[in-house]
Amino acid sequence: MSEHVKARTNQGFGRVLVVVYAIFAVGATARSVIQITRRLDEAPVAYLLSAFAAVVYIVATIALARGNRTSRKVAYVAIGIEMAGVIVIGALSLLVPDAFPRATVWSTFGSGYLFIPLILPPLALWWLRRTE
Amino acid sequence: MTGPFSTATIIVGLLLAVWALVYLVMNKRVDRYLQIATLGLAVMFVVLAVGGIVQMMGTDKELARAEFVGYLLLSPLIPVGGWWWAKNDETRWGAGVLLVVGLVMPVLVVRIQQVWAGV
Repeated sequence: MSEHVKARTNQGFGRVLVVVYAIFAVGATARSVIQITRRLDEAPVAYLLSAFAAVVYIVATIALARGNRTSRKVAYVAIGIEMAGVIVIGALSLLVPDAFPRATVWSTFGSGYLFIPLILPPLALWWLRRTE
Repeated sequence: MTGPFSTATIIVGLLLAVWALVYLVMNKRVDRYLQIATLGLAVMFVVLAVGGIVQMMGTDKELARAEFVGYLLLSPLIPVGGWWWAKNDETRWGAGVLLVVGLVMPVLVVRIQQVWAGV
């Protein structure tokens, strides 16, 4: 096997990236468990989106933390979805606010979280490219 | 939840962040002392959790109890997880991990206080 050994996504700066993703994964998961178990009918679209975002963050965290060839592909997909999510939901939450009576992590481009949800995916994609 | 102990958790978190930032800038690996500080912060959040839940059970004030307990129980996981993730790193970025931990924990305390206040 003459495969080129890639730098690992979970070393160096990647360790910081993983811990930020992990915090979002835990936070988003806990929040959506509370939302869905207690009052899903209150804002089903927003709450199901929160749950979806939680899954995306979990997958991205694990993929970045593993740092092998397969997990790199998984990370690209998860972070691509995350990027699309924060842009689309961010825009929709401003254009059709009625559809989002309760905030999701991606509402208004993550303004409730210091815009970290908006900064994170391009940063992670840059890191994935850089370690290739 | 708004007493001197929660203020102390904020201060210790910020001190950890500054300490870790110094290591990051100086290109130093995480050492034993920084590890002890991180675990000390984790212990403070366990104490905060126990105190917060006891305080919550002793009151019938209006607050989002599930959120409150969720924040309190999950918050110690961040310094513990961060410590574990940082300790085996052979670069400066272990300190980068602890910098994130030190910055996030004070934010969490403020958020916990908001939930306690019914915001």
